[in-house]
This record gives sequence, structure tokens and C-alpha cells, in this order.
Amino acid sequence: MIAKFHLAFYSKFIDKDKTFGFEVPYLSSFPPLCELRLERRFFSMASFERVSPALKEILLKLYRAEKPVEIDHHLYEFGSVEYHVQSSAADPQNNYLSISTPLLSQGAMPSYGLSSYSTQMVKQVCSDAVEIVEPAKEGYQLTLKINFAKIPRGKDYFKVITQISSVQAVILCSQLKEMLRNVNSQDTSQGMNKPIKLVYHPREPFYVIRQPQKITAVFPLRFKEHSDVIIATAFFQELMDVGSSEKWAKAPPCTWSPIPPPELRGEPLEDLSTNGGFVSFEISSRHVEDKKLDKTVWSLLNFYAYVKKHVKCTRGFIQRRMQKRLESLVEVLHKEKLEEKEDVKFKAHAECRYVGKLVRLSKPKNFKRRCRDLTRKIMQIRFRIKIHGFRRFHRRWLTIPNFSSPLRYTKLE
Amino acid sequence: MATSLRLYLTCIRNTLEAALCLQNFPCQEVERHNKPEVEMKTSQELLLNSILICRNEAEKCLIETSINSLRISLKVKQADELENILTKKFLRFLSMRAEAFQVLRRKPVQGYDISFLITNFHCEEMQKRKLIDFIVQFMEDIEKEISELKMSVNTRGRLVATEFLKQFI
Repeated sequence: MIAKFHLAFYSKFIDKDKTFGFEVPYLSSFPPLCELRLERRFFSMASFERVSPALKEILLKLYRAEKPVEIDHHLYEFGSVEYHVQSSAADPQNNYLSISTPLLSQGAMPSYGLSSYSTQMVKQVCSDAVEIVEPAKEGYQLTLKINFAKIPRGKDYFKVITQISSVQAVILCSQLKEMLRNVNSQDTSQGMNKPIKLVYHPREPFYVIRQPQKITAVFPLRFKEHSDVIIATAFFQELMDVGSSEKWAKAPPCTWSPIPPPELRGEPLEDLSTNGGFVSFEISSRHVEDKKLDKTVWSLLNFYAYVKKHVKCTRGFIQRRMQKRLESLVEVLHKEKLEEKEDVKFKAHAECRYVGKLVRLSKPKNFKRRCRDLTRKIMQIRFRIKIHGFRRFHRRWLTIPNFSSPLRYTKLE
Repeated sequence: MATSLRLYLTCIRNTLEAALCLQNFPCQEVERHNKPEVEMKTSQELLLNSILICRNEAEKCLIETSINSLRISLKVKQADELENILTKKFLRFLSMRAEAFQVLRRKPVQGYDISFLITNFHCEEMQKRKLIDFIVQFMEDIEKEISELKMSVNTRGRLVATEFLKQFI
């Protein structure tokens, strides 16, 4: 998926540790989700990046290099997107960037290379410093020749390089834009209502169905775990509720169904077997007007990533909440234990205080207490009358010896 | 608190107060061993009748008593799938951290969501009244926590859905 925070790129020059090293600060930059009021901020921040961070880093490195650098890098993103960056020390003016990306739809697009619309979109995005090389290098859909000397110095260079780094997203978007911009066209050619399968990610295809006055985008959703399905289903219900409210009447109508919609009848069974159901958006001409087209396309392409991000964040939220609750529950038990200890201490202290009180008692009361204590002590001793030397005599002559029986258990000392 | 819940908890509290009269009792089978009889169930004469307290079909509490130990098993209400996964997640989370609670059993009794095992040693270490308070408080908290979690998940979903639809306008 395009969502760059899920980036798992493997390049020849970045080892695995560095890959993780790259991801961690990126993820940690997300704000904490402890409180619900932060959610809005989080989701507005977590807009899915169009820029390839690894490519951007390399291009910036090349641009900032004082001496011409010899570079030949192959970058892989999401398993199927490949970038090839070439820079020669002998020819520092001409740096080459080749991109190979899986096409959204094999049926609607040319089998190899980019459509004229996509090429046009790329030209619009890139500045004068970039030139499209035709034909593209073998194995790639697009090759760009970048002249860093033409990139303006100052603050603008960063913007230009960011735009070049987002060229793969431009290619992908242009394909869907081409389909959506013809919503109102009265094209009644054969197979108009046939669903077009768009494979944005091998395991996450979605369908676009052209209908009169509207285009329906259907997303079959699959999740690995049952708990994810439940969280996602709760989200889809909310999406339907919110979408059906008057306030959001301008948003595309959204429906969720556990069974495939009738438009997908006839599609391969493996594509229609899901555990998360099917989410459909009805895109009308209103949603693809001028600037809205870009936003609509990007939102549709990132719907999977959006749902998955929500599920992941919700799981994290539940975990954090449980951790917090565990602490408070354990605290109850520990508090009780502490209270008990305090009770014991208090009792001991109370006894001391009682003794202190006795000291201050009047003389007859004190005498009475002493008599009572003496009587208790006499009662405690074995023999009421104490005879000097009798204890020794008793131990020697009157004690019955212990006989150990073979049948009985004898405690070892 | 709902009347039915209050009655349910009061009934559990009263039953626990009556049942928590545990004493030290060495194992009759193995010498120098002291095992909770409610778990071992080696001698029938050391076990008391178990008590089942039900609030409804989905919520119940089983109290099993023996001479030196007591086992409380709880089944928590799960109205829908979301509550079901939240309850499972939360109680599993607690069970995996059972050592923090001392009286919590790592594995619940079959047919129940969570189980506690109180032995005479726990009663000696802690006050009986406080132990009962903890159990009742725990039950109250679990119910409250799960309903709060469910609400939070739905609220999050609504916020995320709003943010998503906002992109089209």
C-alpha cells in the first residue's frame, strides 16, 4: 500500500537494522492516543504520505553532495514498487530515476509503459529540472532525467525534490483519475457496467463499476484476525451512520454489506470471499470536480490503509486502556493490604497507649490490677504451689519415657 | 448502579461472607502437602455444596467451597460481538497477569470467563471483609470498563469515519 508509515522497503544500501531505525522515529512521531480528544488531531496528522521517504533521502543526498557522487541504487517498496537511481561522477548533470510500479488495472491500461494521461500528469508535477526519457529503461515504466543544477537553490529545492519523490503516487493516481473524470460521459459502449478490478496491492484488490451518472467503488475487505473484523465492522457501521446523516449529504453515499453487491456478480469466487464484508462508495460528478478529484482518488486508494490503521490504533488503544485499568485494579488490592498493616500497627500502638494510661491510674486501682496479674500468673504455671527443687525431682523420677513405635511416624528433629 | 446489578452483587457478597470460613487443612493423600481441596477434590467430605448465582442467562457466578479454599468463577455479560471480543481480550489480559492479583486463577473454569481461588493463607494474610470487597469491586469494575471500552471504540470509529468523509467535501 502507498501508506508510507507501513513502509517496509529493502534496498541494497540500507541494512535491516537501518530499516527499522528508519521506521521507529517515523511511527513514534504519531501523537499519543490516550484520550479521545486527541483522535481528531491524530487522524488529520496521519495523512498518508505520497512521497517515498527513502527516495527523497537519496535525492536530497545527491543534491546536497559537494562533489559528484557515483550512485547506483535499487529501492523496493511494498514488495512491488522498484526505483533505480543512477548518478555518474563523470556526468553529474544527468541523474536518472527509473520507476517500475504495478499498474492498477491490466485491462483498462496499456500493457506496458504509461498512458498519455499519466505521462501528462507526471510532466505537470515535475519541474524544469526533470525530463521524461523516452523510451523508458528496460524493465521500468518511467525514466526521469534529473538535472540538479536546474533545481533552484534556497528553500524551493526541498519542495521540488519532494515532488519528484512522489512520482509513483502520481502514476497510480492518474490511472484512477482517468476513470473517474469520465463520470458524466455518455459512453454506452459494451461492457460499460463491467467491474474493473484495480489491484493496488496483490491481496487487496478493489473494483470500480461505471454506471450512468455515477461510479461505484467496491472494496472487499479481509482481515487476519477475528477481533480485527469486529473492530472494522463497528467502524463500517459508524461510516454508514455518519454518511447517511444530513450534515454529510454531500459526501459519497457509503454502504457496507457482508455479502457481495449485485454489481460484482460473475467475479472470481476467491475475490469475493471475504470476512470483513464489502464497502461501496458511490462517486458522483460532484466528487470529481477540479481539485476534489485528486482528494477523492487519494482517499479511495488509501481506504484499505485507512481502515487497517484504524484497526491497529484501536487495538493499541484497548491495550493501553487495559494496562491502565490493571494498575487501578491491583492498586485496590494493595491498598487493602496496606490498610491491614496499618490496622495492625494501630492496634499495637493502642496497646502501648493502654499501658501508659495504667501508669496514671489511682493507687487502689493500681493495686487491684497487680493482684489480678499475679492471680493470672499463678493460674498459668503448672503447679499451683511452687516447691524449690521439685521441678528437677519431677523431671528425673516422675516423667514417663517415650517409646517409639515401628507403626507410627516419628518426627525427625 | 442498576437495581438488578445491586441485588446480584449483594447476593454474591452475602454468599461469600458465609462461605469464606476457611481453615488450614493439610492434604489427606500426600504427607506434608497443603493443597486447595476445591481444586484437588480428593476427599468428598472436605467439599461443600457449590452455589450458582445468576443475574440472567449470560451473567452468572459459581462459588465452590471446600475446607481450606474457595473458588469463584464469573461469567460476564457479552451482548454483542464487540463486547464479546472486548471481554475476552480484557479478561485474558488480566489472567496473564494473575500474579499481580494473588487470588486470580490463570485459567478460568470451563464455561466461565474468569476465576478466583482464595485459600486459607490468603484469608490469614488479608482481611476477609476486604477480600470480599475486592471481589465485588472487581465485578463492578469489569462491567463498567467493558461498557466504557465499547463506547470508546464506537466513538473512535465515528470520529475516524467523519475524518474520512471530510476528505470528499
